[in-house]
Amino acid sequence: MPNVFAVPVFFICFRECLETSIIVSVLLAFLKQSLGPEHDAAVRKRLVRQIWLGVILGLFICVVIGAGLIGAFYKAGKQAFDAAEFLWEGIFALIASIIITLMGAALLRVNKMQDKWRTKIAKALEDKDSSPLPLTGRLKRWCQKYAMFLLPFVTVLREGIEAVLFIGGVGLGLPATSFPLAVICGLLAGAVIGYLIYKGGNRTSLQIFLIISTCFLYLIAAGLFSKGIWDFEAHAWGKIAGEGALEAGSGPGSYDIRKSVWHVNCCTPGSKGDGGWGVFNSLFGWQNSATYGSVISYNLYWLVIIAGFLMLGYKERSGHWPLQKPAAVAEDVQSQSDGSSGVGEKKQEGAATSNVREIQA
Amino acid sequence: MAMSLSSFLLSISFFLTAVYAATVTYDFDVSWVYANPDGVYNRPVIGVNGKWPLPPITATKGDRVVVNVKNSLGNETTSLHFHGLFQFGTNHMDGPIQVTQCPIPPGGSFTYNFTIDQPGTYWYHSHTKGQYPDGIRAPLIVHDPDSPHKDLYDEEIVISFSDWYHGMMGPLLTDFISIRNPSGAEPVPNAALVNDTQNLTVSIQPGKTYLVRMVNMGAFAAQYVWFEGHTMKIVEVDGIYTEPTEANMLYMTAAQRYSVLITAKNSTDANFAFVGSMDQDLFDVVPAGLNPNVTGWLVYDEKKEKPAAKEINAFEPFDDFTLVPEDKQGILDKVDHSVTLDMKMDNLGDGANYAFFNDVTFVRAKVPTLYTVLTSGSEATNPVIYGGNTNQILLKGNETVEIILNNNDPGKHPFHLHGHEFQVVSRSEDEAGAYISDSSMPPTPMRRDTVLVRPNGHIVLRFRATNPGVWLFHCHIEWHVASGLVATIIEDPLTLQAQLAGKIPANHLQACKDSNTPSEGNAAGNTKNLLDLTGQNKSPSPLPAGFTARGIVALVFSCLAAFIGMAVIGQYGMAPVKAKTG
Repeated sequence: MPNVFAVPVFFICFRECLETSIIVSVLLAFLKQSLGPEHDAAVRKRLVRQIWLGVILGLFICVVIGAGLIGAFYKAGKQAFDAAEFLWEGIFALIASIIITLMGAALLRVNKMQDKWRTKIAKALEDKDSSPLPLTGRLKRWCQKYAMFLLPFVTVLREGIEAVLFIGGVGLGLPATSFPLAVICGLLAGAVIGYLIYKGGNRTSLQIFLIISTCFLYLIAAGLFSKGIWDFEAHAWGKIAGEGALEAGSGPGSYDIRKSVWHVNCCTPGSKGDGGWGVFNSLFGWQNSATYGSVISYNLYWLVIIAGFLMLGYKERSGHWPLQKPAAVAEDVQSQSDGSSGVGEKKQEGAATSNVREIQA
Repeated sequence: MAMSLSSFLLSISFFLTAVYAATVTYDFDVSWVYANPDGVYNRPVIGVNGKWPLPPITATKGDRVVVNVKNSLGNETTSLHFHGLFQFGTNHMDGPIQVTQCPIPPGGSFTYNFTIDQPGTYWYHSHTKGQYPDGIRAPLIVHDPDSPHKDLYDEEIVISFSDWYHGMMGPLLTDFISIRNPSGAEPVPNAALVNDTQNLTVSIQPGKTYLVRMVNMGAFAAQYVWFEGHTMKIVEVDGIYTEPTEANMLYMTAAQRYSVLITAKNSTDANFAFVGSMDQDLFDVVPAGLNPNVTGWLVYDEKKEKPAAKEINAFEPFDDFTLVPEDKQGILDKVDHSVTLDMKMDNLGDGANYAFFNDVTFVRAKVPTLYTVLTSGSEATNPVIYGGNTNQILLKGNETVEIILNNNDPGKHPFHLHGHEFQVVSRSEDEAGAYISDSSMPPTPMRRDTVLVRPNGHIVLRFRATNPGVWLFHCHIEWHVASGLVATIIEDPLTLQAQLAGKIPANHLQACKDSNTPSEGNAAGNTKNLLDLTGQNKSPSPLPAGFTARGIVALVFSCLAAFIGMAVIGQYGMAPVKAKTG
């Protein structure tokens, strides 16, 4: 199963697609509101087509870039990685774990995301009218005319490239065959949820669904974190025991007895024929040969996550971090808590979230 | 009157032995010297009287041999084992430490004194902690004036084959039995030697027939041996005369010997190469650049060129199982005592790889087992007193014994029994699994003292327990001796007591004192209660099985952490929704 379906890749696609569909839904809602039935149906239709064209073109470019990057990686990098497989897998697992950890929390704030994008788009449209742009008149006019194309195009491109980079980070250690199905399923699920949000269905059940998927996301991340440490230890053991460690398969000698917490000579994740254990591994971080490193890192990860979410919750309730004076709320720290968007927009985004809080409160 | 008659008889018997048997004395001062036998690497080796290679011991059947050993190594103990000799009545001269003697400590002296009543090709080597591959090994030849083949040859040649390591055995053993070597991969030799050198020349005179005595005194590697342009006629294996049998190529495991007749060509037109080629199947990983072959030449004419050995297409060695002993001794078909030994390799709790007979890996007893026999009175027949890790097998006197050895390992192993020759009544091909039965046992089976068992195959050996003593049965790959592939046969202990109690020479007991080795009591050195084995030498504990207490605790805590974590996520996730609705 892990050879056919990369669970982390699924969740990343799901999450990025959800964000994209929220943007599209906000734009469509915006059109609906600002161009009511009294407006020309043809103009509205043209603008809706522009939105979809932007989305599709953005997606297309992302797919090309993503396919190119991943293809290049598999062509060039695989051999170099084979030499120190455990080391690389460990590094990738840690990177993937950190990426998922940082973006996971945002999934729980999808409705906030909707508000955020609404503010952002509204601002962008306002800016266009007021700010003097250092462009020639023709280009300015073109931009105004095709705003409904450019806006989704740019945002989809940005989200998509983000997704590609995330998938790259998460998936570098995974076989190429595990990508397509996970990507397609993730995109479909994201689009469906996005559509449900657009339709404004039952928010509570949607929220429960999002919580469950976030829980899975963090289970995966915890497993990846633990696996990263495990891989480093396996790499170190390979250096000590050499050929013998490989020869031993899952039996005695395949692991460092001095660091072993438990070991069963079966149920190995990743090996052929033990498919079920591979799913167990990618979902819950199962190891047939647990080490002190892998167990402690797993528990430590959860400890950090628990502390992090308690702090986030505290901050949302009281407006500041625990042990911090209410007055000293810095914008930078705020934007970190959101953690979903790129670096370039930090400032603006910080403003947006604080706007949202005001609205919510 | 009676007195004078007995003294008269005594003097006659003395006279007779003086005629038929001589005493051959060797003084061996064992010390470190430097040698570079493969011309690549100069290293310390264990020599005798300041020289290396060691001198062969030669004697005539019936001779008394006395070897006075002085250990001048300074940093290691030592001992000598005379491989293949029955040591009838002289079990204490057999040589393995902690079995029939205490180690000879640095500075100590020790005398081996025994008679040899068996002709043939043997060898001697240290039987102390994997020591002999450091160089302390050499052929031991017993000539026979009554040999059935004595009219078939003109001259004798002795050729030894051996693998050779550049590393010293001490560090190699430390690395071998180590958590760093979990698969138990044996160190691979760096070279092969013939007569402790390479490119040996053997002068041959045309038309003559030679008896070529060959010994593999290597630590590990078996060798394929062939002589270009000449066929061999096997007449002796491991001291047993055989019906002359033609062979083109031999497979000699570590510790095996063959005597073959080679008839020289009638012309001196050319010289001929002969080759010893190490069996690379034994090697876990064959290092790049290893030359597994060693070449020598039968030189008819020194002025002519010595041609390089020809490449061969395949190794097709002679199958020694088909040999027939000259005396045509019939198969021992009434077995009184059958012993099954299932051997395997596995890892223990220290992470290192060990070898096992019936799930027990051999660990030396604190007291040499012979001394336990001699100091335990009637308890000597109770196997318990010999400890939990010596793989003791108790035999009654004169019973016919069968050893069924099932090799549950994908490697080849040469098994050697001290103090006996055995009939090889059954031997399987590779991958045949455990022995069940064999309806086609040969009527006159081959006898020898070291026999190959094939990968995942089996052998069945039979012998009669007519030699009271403590005799090891072990794989003669020195690495596997170290990892515990050893059993201790305790044969007719009460008769052994009658033979040897109180007769252990003072210098043997002195070695125990000087090396702080107890020489009385059970395997743990307990003299009061022989059934109390507290403090005995034990193997490391087995690997923990699956989930132990700490594994369960770790798993429970991990699950708990995950559930609490998800609960916190859920609580955080629901918060804004509540805020909105409420």
